[in-house]
Amino acid sequence: MGKSGASTNGLPGSQHPVIAELYQRFGAARIQYQETLGNVPTAWVSRQDATAVLRYLRQAPKPYSMLLDLHAVDERLRRHRDGLPGADFTVFYHLLSIERNNDVRIKVALAANDLHLPTATGIWPNANWYEREVWDLYGIEFKGHPHLVRLLMPRTWEGHPLRKDYPARATEFDPFTLDNAKQDLEQESLRFIPEEWGMSRGTANADYMFLNLGPNHPSAHGAFRIVLQLDGEEILDCVPDIGYHHRGAEKMAERQSWHSFIPYTDRIDYLGGVMNNLAYVMAVEQLAGIEVPDRVKTIRIMMSEFFRITSHLLFLGTYIQDVGGMSPIFFIFTDRMKAYDVIEAVTGGRMHPAWFRIGGVAHDLPQGWDKLVRDFVEWMPKRLDEYDKAALRNGILRSRTIGVAKYNSAQAIEWGVTGPGLRATGVNYDLRKARPYGGWENFEFEVPLAANGDAYDRAVLRLEEMRQSVKIIKQCLENMPAGPYKADHPLTTPPPKERTLAHIETLINHFVGVSWGPVMPAGEACQLIEATKGINSYYLTSDAATMSYRTRIRTPSFPHLQQIPSVIRGGLVADLIAYLASIDFVMADVDR
Amino acid sequence: MDYKLTPIVVSDRGAPAPKKSAPAEHADPLSQQVHRSVFMGKVEDVLHKTVNWGRKNSLWPYNFGLSCCYVEMATSFTAPHDVARFGAEVIRASPRQADFMVIAGTCFIKMAPVIQRLYEQMLEPRWVISMGACANSGGMYDIYSVVQGVDKFLPIDVYIPGCPPRPEAFLQGLMLLQDSIANERRPLSWVVGDQGIHKLEVPSQREQRREERMSATTLRAPNQV
Repeated sequence: MGKSGASTNGLPGSQHPVIAELYQRFGAARIQYQETLGNVPTAWVSRQDATAVLRYLRQAPKPYSMLLDLHAVDERLRRHRDGLPGADFTVFYHLLSIERNNDVRIKVALAANDLHLPTATGIWPNANWYEREVWDLYGIEFKGHPHLVRLLMPRTWEGHPLRKDYPARATEFDPFTLDNAKQDLEQESLRFIPEEWGMSRGTANADYMFLNLGPNHPSAHGAFRIVLQLDGEEILDCVPDIGYHHRGAEKMAERQSWHSFIPYTDRIDYLGGVMNNLAYVMAVEQLAGIEVPDRVKTIRIMMSEFFRITSHLLFLGTYIQDVGGMSPIFFIFTDRMKAYDVIEAVTGGRMHPAWFRIGGVAHDLPQGWDKLVRDFVEWMPKRLDEYDKAALRNGILRSRTIGVAKYNSAQAIEWGVTGPGLRATGVNYDLRKARPYGGWENFEFEVPLAANGDAYDRAVLRLEEMRQSVKIIKQCLENMPAGPYKADHPLTTPPPKERTLAHIETLINHFVGVSWGPVMPAGEACQLIEATKGINSYYLTSDAATMSYRTRIRTPSFPHLQQIPSVIRGGLVADLIAYLASIDFVMADVDR
Repeated sequence: MDYKLTPIVVSDRGAPAPKKSAPAEHADPLSQQVHRSVFMGKVEDVLHKTVNWGRKNSLWPYNFGLSCCYVEMATSFTAPHDVARFGAEVIRASPRQADFMVIAGTCFIKMAPVIQRLYEQMLEPRWVISMGACANSGGMYDIYSVVQGVDKFLPIDVYIPGCPPRPEAFLQGLMLLQDSIANERRPLSWVVGDQGIHKLEVPSQREQRREERMSATTLRAPNQV
């Protein structure tokens, strides 16, 4: 190691400081740079070097302290792999450094008959679930993993669904039935066995109680299960169990056209609406090389911020309800209806408008949109003040949440926490400011921060974020640029129609673009956005086809749930409820 | 048998003679009298109607949500839509206390045994509403992990279309369930013989409302609010 002290200038990718650093440290022969779109320098390393490289990046000056994403690709059917190392499967690690404000992606090639590599759980604790998921969906083994069992699919499942040779459709299998024998078998497989997780059933003097909370519990916010090891009221340890909401969105992307996958993105963070579309269409636009007009950017920002408000409002209502305040949620849903008045008028939909398009939006803003938006931005701030006064300064709410489920910045980063959960610990990291994308750089707003990182701060911070969103919407209202609502580019969807009746060539292209959908150039693109709940990213691999070869959706709620045991150990059951409420997760954003 | 009623004329001296009019036709006064004082229907029908009336107007929902649809269902619980108007606001956290459950969201293969268990824990009389495209048929998600319609293993009373259905659609579904309950016949107590539930055959709303739907000709243009 470190023997190639020579200059790395001229080596591919050495314009990226991190790649140059890796060349320096490991030698050019052991690092293979890959050209990708989207500002994530990508390097291939061998399986033998993987742990050393990852460990180096974790400990380097200005370290890559956050494992943002870890997943795999089945490369066996990929045709456009020019110059890439031979691989049947690839495992990739997407690392983020907050100090450097940049990312790096490390890829490891694996052969189909030798599917294993060393675990990264010793480097980043949140590699645990990601590795379990990769094992579950691809069958890749991580040597040294503490407990490599299925994460998303039931324990009784056979096969690894994200492999290319695994059928996608439910209708390709036998119809689902549920008889008594199967019911008993499945229920048995859900039984929690403490020993399996290294838990003891009690001490010499007392037995512990194992409480199964979920998968359907009023304060679990969806199909989420967590098993608690209790000593009286105190939580000694717990095991979150997910996968009750796995809709196979990543597999779905491999059989939908680039355009027809847009509605599926709405349903990932189902409170985020068009915010999900944004991350996806921006990644596709990178592949296609589309630059969108200013009006599109501003419309997208306005609608995304509307959804940030509706999502945060729902958070606030349920949060207050979970700690015992029954009435605010009734007022808050009235506000959500006000926001939906605008969203419905503009997009025609409510929760899932699927309104963004590749290269633009579905149609222009309707006449009279400005009045609706103005009504909303005048209505909202007064209500927010009221919630602040009536609920967040309420003594009971404060005593139930202040100091509860506290974690510091270092813990947040090592568990991959992003969004308000990270900023509540005082880390000023909001992608809209840190790495402006899609036009946010043109707006004036602040990034609310807090210091304590407890359940209370996370709520106060979101309330403040809503105020900032209102401020952004107001700026959109006052400065809406004129111009087209769609980029003039042949790969936009639906494709431009104006010239189709002029020559047969454009007519044919239009017909193909509408029926099969556009063919995106081969390549890899990745777009990170500051979504309602944290960093959401779409990492797309195109194999020059009408469908994506691989769509990896990094969702913020997934690591947030993985962090739960480390935060709540030693707390009370009532604290857990306040903590779950303060995370603000939806299960579709966890299990996809 | 129809009778003619002839009024009795009390002749008062000096009073003008009553006008002769055509005698009115009346029903048998005896049977009228009997109908007024004695109930001639079946007590069973009355009991059924009373019980059904009570049941349909105090439906307690089970607080059960799977995904996006649940958010719209919760919206209908709150002030702007107010499900209390239909007597269905007493949300229960335990299936044992609930009258009906709404499968609001996608039914996953991993979740199906859990849903089955929760359904079994509900006591009769119990009803199930399937809310949204996923619960109805799998919807957009013809994918390995999703059950293609919750009716593969649960009996469903009302299907609400939409992805997700608006809160108004949920309320309409609830009202349809109420109508169905009003016409239901189930044993009032434990009886010998058939313990089953008789439900009125209802035509699909899609057929029933076809005319109404097709008659809508003026729709909002997308460029207007």
